[in-house]
Amino acid sequence: MNKYTITCLIIFIFLGPFLFPNATITEMLIFGIVAISTNIMLGYTGMLSFGQALFFGTSAYISGLILLAGFPIFLAIPIATLGSFLISLFVGYFCVKREGLYFICLTFAFNQMFYFIAYVWTEVTGGEDGLVGITRPEFIDTQLSFYVFISILFLTSLYLMYKIITSPLGLIFKLIRENPSRAEAIGYNVRFFKLVSFSIASTFTGLAGSLYVLIHSMVPIDQIHWLKSGDIIFMTLFGGVGNFLGPLIGVVGYIWLSDTFSIIWARWPLIMGVIFAIIVLYFRGGVSELLENLIKKCQFYFKKNKDEKYIKN
Amino acid sequence: MKNILKINNLSKNFGNVSAVNNVNLAVEVGSIHSVIGPNGAGKSTFFNMISGVLPPSSGKVYYKNNDITGFESYKLPHMGIAKCFQITNVFPKLSVRENVWSSVFSCARKSKFDFFKPLSNFKYIAEETEKIISDVGLSHKINDKAEELSHGQQRMLEMAITLGAKPELLLLDEPTQGLAPEATLEMTKLIQKLSKKHTILLIEHKMHIVMEISKVITVLNFGEVIDEGTPSEVKESKKVQDAYLGRG
Repeated sequence: MNKYTITCLIIFIFLGPFLFPNATITEMLIFGIVAISTNIMLGYTGMLSFGQALFFGTSAYISGLILLAGFPIFLAIPIATLGSFLISLFVGYFCVKREGLYFICLTFAFNQMFYFIAYVWTEVTGGEDGLVGITRPEFIDTQLSFYVFISILFLTSLYLMYKIITSPLGLIFKLIRENPSRAEAIGYNVRFFKLVSFSIASTFTGLAGSLYVLIHSMVPIDQIHWLKSGDIIFMTLFGGVGNFLGPLIGVVGYIWLSDTFSIIWARWPLIMGVIFAIIVLYFRGGVSELLENLIKKCQFYFKKNKDEKYIKN
Repeated sequence: MKNILKINNLSKNFGNVSAVNNVNLAVEVGSIHSVIGPNGAGKSTFFNMISGVLPPSSGKVYYKNNDITGFESYKLPHMGIAKCFQITNVFPKLSVRENVWSSVFSCARKSKFDFFKPLSNFKYIAEETEKIISDVGLSHKINDKAEELSHGQQRMLEMAITLGAKPELLLLDEPTQGLAPEATLEMTKLIQKLSKKHTILLIEHKMHIVMEISKVITVLNFGEVIDEGTPSEVKESKKVQDAYLGRG
């Protein structure tokens, strides 16, 4: 991350509340954590998981239940995050035994399992109606204080994830993406590091899930449905897996587009489908690669102009 | 301890087919020991069993008198065994520096916490990396992506990655495969240079290279050892001539 991207990020954090309604911008930040952490697994390690809603939803339920039981939020968030970390170790242990398509199927299967547990276990999860009646603690009751609270957690998570991907661990993830058998041959236990990557992504996704309950004071059951996992992958690819902050652009774009179109037209997912098809077909690096190329072209153009002036003088 | 690697009655069956059958072999410290044989002799299967890719059906592999039979391949570099692949096997989208750095880091890191420290913390690894890259003659390409290198350069990079583990025993699987004659010569020289610091077990197809540099040659055919000796002895052997000319 250079200073320009950091500046852009800070401007976004400050301008966000003026551009979008409070519920929308906080949702963007929360899914920002989800998409960027998913990208550690998807873009850096090269593992496509169709089960991220499992961690998002489960953590949301845990956090919601703790809040409903009357415990403070400072207990709910860490416990829910720890919970998704432990579940990710369990689920991940089985998933990383297989590669490619089989890995995807396993994550998908686990996601469905957890969804049906939530669906059937009505006394605890509220079943189809979701978990309702959660109240936000007083200190984040106003829109401003809630936004500040979420942004602080958002920036902290981003900082931690950035530290991870710029450490040797991040490099090992890339080795696994590029050439797992060679990574094994130079002494890295590939299966173990895949599990590490899976757990990091899932734990941050869990953290985001535990915050999500605070937006609408409820946990709808579709937050644990596999379609949500699809959304998460969509957002990440839409933004671009090629760089660290790319998925954030995807999240902002996706949530903004779906908010805008869903008011105008009930069949709005059709538009999203078309956009997704175009991106996969022509811009494999997502919106962020598109922007990068534009910036490069602009720089080239300005440099050329400068050179021409220099020659004339 | 004279023998660094000792192989006892190693066999591998695929169903009813016996690819490697009761092979015994001992590699002396500091030597270049070659394993040759015609196509389909079981050289690669043999190599894969030593390097932990395939579990043997029976038999034992001892490294410095420790039983390493069937060890997963990621454990071997940490014990001092590194391998070089038959086909070029690098990390294409990463730079030459990153390719070698990761290999050096794998064995030179000091604690588990090193995984989480910033990359700039590891001066000694960076220095080692640059030294290895200059040894194989790729210093001018250090920041280029591996996929942008020529085939010969990629083979050299492959070698650099292998050396990153600071191995005592080098397992080389046909390092000159698909190389132009000049590059083959260069690679042969490099192997000779490396043999001063490392013990080398070389699997090769090209006779003339093997004859030139090996101390001991083991000849495989149909999964069995048919002869073993110095290059001149093997050259004279009737069995070997027959095997290579298809009269066996």
